[in-house]
Amino acid sequence: MKGFLCVVLLLGVLFCVQSPESWAATPVNEIVVSAAISLKDAFQEIGKVFQESRTGSKVIFNFASSGDLARQIIAGAPVDVYASADHKDMDDLDGKGFITAQSRFNFVMNAVVLVVPAKPSIQVESWEALRMELTQRIVIGNPSTVPAGRYAHEVLNHLGLWDVIQEKLIFAEHVRQALDYVARGEVDAGIVYSTDAMARSKEVRVVLTAPAGSHRPIIYPIGLVKGSRNDELARAFITFVVSPTGKNILKTHGFVMID
Amino acid sequence: MDPSVLFSLRLSIQVASAATFFIVLIGVGIAYLLAMKRFRGKELLDIICTLPLVLPPTVTGYYLLVLLGRNGWVGRPVYEWTGWNIMFTWYAAIVASFVVALPLMIKTTRASIESVDKSLINASYTLGHSELGTALKVTLPLAKRGIIAGTILSFARAMGEFGATLMVAGNIPGRTDTMPISIYAHASSGDWSKANWMVVFFSLISGLLLYIANHFSRKTI
Amino acid sequence: MGLSLKLQKKVEGFTLNVEWKIGNELAILFGSSGSGKSMTLQLIAGLIEPDVGIIRSNGSLLYDSMAGVNVSPQKRCLGYVFQDRVLFPHMTVKKNVAYGWRESYRPEMADRVREMLHLFHLEGLEDRFPSEISGGEKQRVALARALIGRPKALLLDEPFSGLDRPIRLELSLLLTEIRNEFDLPVVFVTHDIFEDYALPDKIIVYSGGRIIQVGSPNEVFDHPCEAEVERLTRFHRGMGPSYR
Repeated sequence: MKGFLCVVLLLGVLFCVQSPESWAATPVNEIVVSAAISLKDAFQEIGKVFQESRTGSKVIFNFASSGDLARQIIAGAPVDVYASADHKDMDDLDGKGFITAQSRFNFVMNAVVLVVPAKPSIQVESWEALRMELTQRIVIGNPSTVPAGRYAHEVLNHLGLWDVIQEKLIFAEHVRQALDYVARGEVDAGIVYSTDAMARSKEVRVVLTAPAGSHRPIIYPIGLVKGSRNDELARAFITFVVSPTGKNILKTHGFVMID
Repeated sequence: MDPSVLFSLRLSIQVASAATFFIVLIGVGIAYLLAMKRFRGKELLDIICTLPLVLPPTVTGYYLLVLLGRNGWVGRPVYEWTGWNIMFTWYAAIVASFVVALPLMIKTTRASIESVDKSLINASYTLGHSELGTALKVTLPLAKRGIIAGTILSFARAMGEFGATLMVAGNIPGRTDTMPISIYAHASSGDWSKANWMVVFFSLISGLLLYIANHFSRKTI
Repeated sequence: MGLSLKLQKKVEGFTLNVEWKIGNELAILFGSSGSGKSMTLQLIAGLIEPDVGIIRSNGSLLYDSMAGVNVSPQKRCLGYVFQDRVLFPHMTVKKNVAYGWRESYRPEMADRVREMLHLFHLEGLEDRFPSEISGGEKQRVALARALIGRPKALLLDEPFSGLDRPIRLELSLLLTEIRNEFDLPVVFVTHDIFEDYALPDKIIVYSGGRIIQVGSPNEVFDHPCEAEVERLTRFHRGMGPSYR
């Protein structure tokens, strides 16, 4: 019994003891960046370079679907910077007063592609092939919360396929999950960003890029969240993202520059 | 009430009922083995059966994915043979619920069976009744309360299953969105009014089931 | 008829090594607690397995370690009354007794159940549950249940524990009746001094897992062959032959 009580006490102590930083008198120089999951690889690299260039700074990333992230900010999550994959969620936050005035920038663009598993069970070579009976499962992001899903919806609508393939659609909670289903071969095809396809180029194959005009331009905005506790570092981060260095990193990950 | 909410409710009850049916069949059997028999690998069986209870549902979901996906160990041969795969169907939801709720059934039933006086079982043997006959006429009837409590708990857990279900059945409105998934989807897209209805309803049902389960566990023969 | 055995079993520092046989008589396994008496009964019934041994009941072989014979408890056809008279709590008196019916011939079963209830003075209690009847009544139900299947021998483990004197007397007379009526070997285990008990035909004295004396009550009480036997029967010897 005594031994058991000791263990419980120890657990309690461990809970109370926080990371060494919390004991330091000086506050840590850090910011929280909530970014659309399609930015994951690019932003992680940007974050690394940024932290190296400013010693003592720390960037904490929070990746999820743009819709979920916006919801978190509205619910009061302590976020400093927000970057989403389309303007809808950013406009939503802006309209509700969560974004600092004049801190918004459009920083990159993306493209939407039709992908299939690298080792497919059936051949899908065109958009029309999605109509085939053999094509049983097609994954896109959930249009209600995932920008990639909304773009996919637009493309499919434009091609007159949306109503036809309704039954076959599987909704993913964020675009990387959609990518994962394609990579695993759980689905016959999927619609994701070209940057996602690049991230797992060995496991998925790009069949086609969405035709011009089939969707709104995919423009990613980034902005400062009002009430940020580290205004200076947050602004520095945004500046870094839109700087030539930042943009270069984004380019290497497949993002398209805004001309 | 909104038809989509009704659908989710009906689906949840269907999935939980089907899962519980199999849970009772298989759970009582495994619990009996663990309670009454000694064999090599018994501890291992116990651990494997209890694992879903302590693993995060997403981990359980991942294992199910690896097992049942189109490229999965079981999923692939089935797909190649029949062209059918269980993922993204409501059957996958049944499997997910089955796996996460089974440990509850096994634990409760095993404890109940172990509490049956061994002399009663021995008496039955000396009176000429086989092991199966004794199990059906003496052991299990005397463990009845634990079995019933376990069934109710499993049903409640199966109704509430979310993480693993989301991974293998997905969130397909009108097809696989059980109540927990529907609540999540509506909350994610900001549709709080629908979500609220379901949350209240779900809490009431779960509370009621727990109350009934406790009632059965409290009294022992 | 009869029951004979030769058994050896070693369990956690205790070794049982016994050999005895009885005919259609009433025998008592007598000795202090932990001397191996109950274990012997369990071995006879097949609920545990000896290391080495041979058991014969009514001429047929129940167990033979050399020949690899091990009849299951279900098929040994022995009546066993467990310590504390374990009756099935979820069955009525009638159902408990009927549970002992071994044959599949159902019509005869109803008659036999009625017969046993009558024989053991259980009429009127058929639909009661074990929790609703007295200790003595429970003992009679246990006996009826054990005997309805026409076993080849009757084994009882501490049948009189927890019962008052008058009930004990009643039951011990019942046991001699059973021995006569059913004509089978009756073995019962006790560690208690048995001044009130109807005289058994044979006493088998246990001590530390061995038999230290076998004989009629007279022989054992009046001519104890060891100090241990003398010690165990001390309280009775004063009553000796005058008990008869």
